[in-house]
Amino acid sequence: MPTIAVLDYGIGNLRSAQKALERAGANAVLTSDVAVIERADGVVLPGVGNFGKCIEALRTTGIDRMALDAIESGRPFLGICIGMQLLFEQSEESPNHRGLGVFPGEVRKLPKNVKHPQMQWNSIHVCNPTPILEGLDGKWLYFVHSYAADLSAENEIVAATCDYGDTVVAAVQLDNVFATQFHPEKSSDAGKDFLINFVTACKGI
Amino acid sequence: MGFVIYPAIDIVNGKCVRLHQGDYDQEKIYNEDPVSQAIQFASEGAQWIHVVDLDAARTGNPENRKIISRIASAVSIPVQTGGGVRSIDSAKALFDSGVERVVVGTAAVENPTLIEDIASLEHRVAVGLDGRKGLIATRGWKDATSIQVAELARQFEDSGVDAVIVTEIERDGTLLGPDVSGLKKVLTTTHLEVIASGGVGSLDDVETLLNLKAENRILGGVIIGKSLYERRVDLVSAIKVCEQFHESKGNHEIH
Repeated sequence: MPTIAVLDYGIGNLRSAQKALERAGANAVLTSDVAVIERADGVVLPGVGNFGKCIEALRTTGIDRMALDAIESGRPFLGICIGMQLLFEQSEESPNHRGLGVFPGEVRKLPKNVKHPQMQWNSIHVCNPTPILEGLDGKWLYFVHSYAADLSAENEIVAATCDYGDTVVAAVQLDNVFATQFHPEKSSDAGKDFLINFVTACKGI
Repeated sequence: MGFVIYPAIDIVNGKCVRLHQGDYDQEKIYNEDPVSQAIQFASEGAQWIHVVDLDAARTGNPENRKIISRIASAVSIPVQTGGGVRSIDSAKALFDSGVERVVVGTAAVENPTLIEDIASLEHRVAVGLDGRKGLIATRGWKDATSIQVAELARQFEDSGVDAVIVTEIERDGTLLGPDVSGLKKVLTTTHLEVIASGGVGSLDDVETLLNLKAENRILGGVIIGKSLYERRVDLVSAIKVCEQFHESKGNHEIH
């Protein structure tokens, strides 16, 4: 059973992510301990609330460095929701903060013609088939967000989209780094299928 | 996805119960273990679960918070919860225990700024508007007011809430059908998402609410309790009806 480190940098409840990973077949640990993170087979970066507050909390705790080291090591890495947005260069939500810059491009506000946040179950379209999104095309997943990765910047990393006023980035992948705007830990069976795919990727090391 | 079925878990003294018209003396226990009930609803395809701490609604104390926390980590779907959320601290404690959205009832009437304070926590909040014949009732539905449900809904339009949850107490737990005209009035009065609660007794009632339209908007969903426990409505079938509705209309209906 692969061990997955869920990065705990003091941003609220992470138990639903931990429990969902356990149900997907992982030994999931909430941790801020560098030794545990270095030994883990995979790493998850969660995030809730506000981009600026999250990136500040990451930097204050030094977990930004641990996350970047984990990515550098080539092990599977998953950013969820704001955890996905933090991996980009910056966000319109907090123009004075820089993101981790793992993914090229920016995070921008959702289209103006729809309600903010997108808080609903929505179906995704897999535009760049990858093992981690196996079986997810057309499936319904749970979203809650007001900002999303800019689609125009780097199309080749966009793995899935959803429709919300316009085409909105739902998942990205760059090598060993995966990220989802939806919450797999709150997306019932489809979310579990996704997490099983991630756990499987973690077994591969 | 537009219209959501919210299966309800009401907790008294650690157990899953239903009341009749909000009367604590007319309580029936349906499951000793609310957590296993939540897991069952989730396994049947529920997209959300609605949990009410009825002890907290009456006393204001977080009597069943541990159970709510266990529910939130036991299921992989968002959980909304209400009952006794009367301060920013009680809302924070619920978010910290993994709840996705809190429902504020009584306190929204007595302290309107509380809603904005909770919304500013960057978490989700809905207002529970519980009424008898269209007039708001507070404190576990014991106290009557002269405030119109539809009027109060309008007051929360710019407060950052996701939705108003409208319960007609005289229908709740009766299986006699929802208060369609009351719901239509609220849907006409406010631009907020409106979630119906109270009275659903059959799949026909679900379809009636699904097709209810005012100002070109539909309801955001319905909370169903007793009819699930009494097996008048099958959750799997109700969810299927909603999916078919959305497939036939396309997925572009915005509340």
